[in-house]
Amino acid sequence: MTEHTVRSFSQDLEELSGDLARMGGLAEDMLSDAIQAIASRDLALAETVVARDPQIDHLQVEVEKKILRLLALRQPLARDLRQTISALKIATELERIGDLGKSIAKRVKLIDGIEPANALKGVARMGRLVTAQLKRVLDAYTAQETDAANKVWSRDEEVDEHYQSLFREVVTYMIEDPRTISACAHLLFVAKNLERIGDHCTNIAEEIHFLVTGEQLPVERPKVDALNSN
Amino acid sequence: MSRMDPMPPLRADTLTATRPAAAAPKVTTKIKADAVSVFYGEKQALFDVSLDMPEKSVTALIGPSGCGKSTFLRSINRMNDTIPSCRVTGRIEIDGQDVNDKAIDPVLLRAQVGMVFQKANPFPKSIFENVAYGVRLHGLASSRDQMREIVEASLRKAGLWDEVKDRLNASGAGLSGGQQQRLVIARAIAVNPEIILMDEPCSALDPIATAKVEELIDELKANYCIVIVTHSMAQAARVSQQTAFFHMGQLIETGPTEAIFTNPRNSRTQDYITGRFG
Repeated sequence: MTEHTVRSFSQDLEELSGDLARMGGLAEDMLSDAIQAIASRDLALAETVVARDPQIDHLQVEVEKKILRLLALRQPLARDLRQTISALKIATELERIGDLGKSIAKRVKLIDGIEPANALKGVARMGRLVTAQLKRVLDAYTAQETDAANKVWSRDEEVDEHYQSLFREVVTYMIEDPRTISACAHLLFVAKNLERIGDHCTNIAEEIHFLVTGEQLPVERPKVDALNSN
Repeated sequence: MSRMDPMPPLRADTLTATRPAAAAPKVTTKIKADAVSVFYGEKQALFDVSLDMPEKSVTALIGPSGCGKSTFLRSINRMNDTIPSCRVTGRIEIDGQDVNDKAIDPVLLRAQVGMVFQKANPFPKSIFENVAYGVRLHGLASSRDQMREIVEASLRKAGLWDEVKDRLNASGAGLSGGQQQRLVIARAIAVNPEIILMDEPCSALDPIATAKVEELIDELKANYCIVIVTHSMAQAARVSQQTAFFHMGQLIETGPTEAIFTNPRNSRTQDYITGRFG
């Protein structure tokens, strides 16, 4: 898009995109490290994930301040307005993803005793799927590509299905060997957190679609409810 | 274990939701412009503009200087007739009646279509006379009392009554800029128009006077069809229900104001309202 006649306006918007890219990068790293920490029971790595969360929180506050200023001083319109509003919402989504990544990492030290190796593998697999979704949606945001964003949106079904089958699988392990119940319960929470991150990715995809086209995606979106499908 | 409901496939048509229709479901067109072109001598200033302006509603005309929006506005009440080299083609209808019909008296037309300009132009007369002048000219008051009623009602509608009721005999030119602009609006509505055209009515006013005029526009739209030319995007967004974007003599895009300012279809509209115009 061409520059604004008032160049500092363009700079403000670019700065905002830069902040969001940084938040996205942080969230992505936190998530993949959290999953690796769970898979390999790496306590030290998990602690670095927890320690990184305040950075995202801080950036979110910064983004909010900048947006407030932008709205007050520039009165953005049309695509500029959509870009500003979607940045506000995406920053919130990324902050939540950071929180969920942190709570996944916190479970590393809680998982003690026997954990079934297969359950760990299943969680790691789901983690990779969700990380890929996050990466794709962040790329779609950077490129402002609505097609790529829509793909993320429709692929959330896959994440939900994965969650559903993982849920059943882990419950089976608990029944088979009650000694694994403690570890498996934590893994279920991890899986639930991953499923939530998937939802946040679809929210971001919806924002990208709105930002680029000015239209809302339909209210209905891919959703599988593990608890109601038993 | 029950099967989950299958997800409806993501189709192109579910993604391109239709834009919500204009505010009112049943809109009556007050002014209809059909393929209007305006020439100043050899130079064409307006190209085939077609635009419907609904009654009881505000239409904002926006666009960079020289885009033809004022020319278009002035063709509605035949103000362009006063420019010798000016020629208008196409058709402009008010309530289905062609305004350029030979049988139409432009003086009566301009009573029906009031106009407010950028710079308030009160007559060098008293506040009372400023409002009474047109009423007398058109023989709309049959008695002195009735005249007084019309003047008071017009000044009230223009939100000026309380500020001037004690000095109706003072000169209109002695009022502040914002008051003068409202006096001119009172003068326009005194002759019972159906349409009010405004050409940048607030560009010389401070924010408070602007807010008063905008508030007035909002009240007037209950009874009138208002067409306003403005350079202020924010003003167009605040006061109008329909916005039309002009560029280089052409009507580029028109639509519900909300849609124009959140999601314009045309890239030139987008560039203009976001301040990217080269």
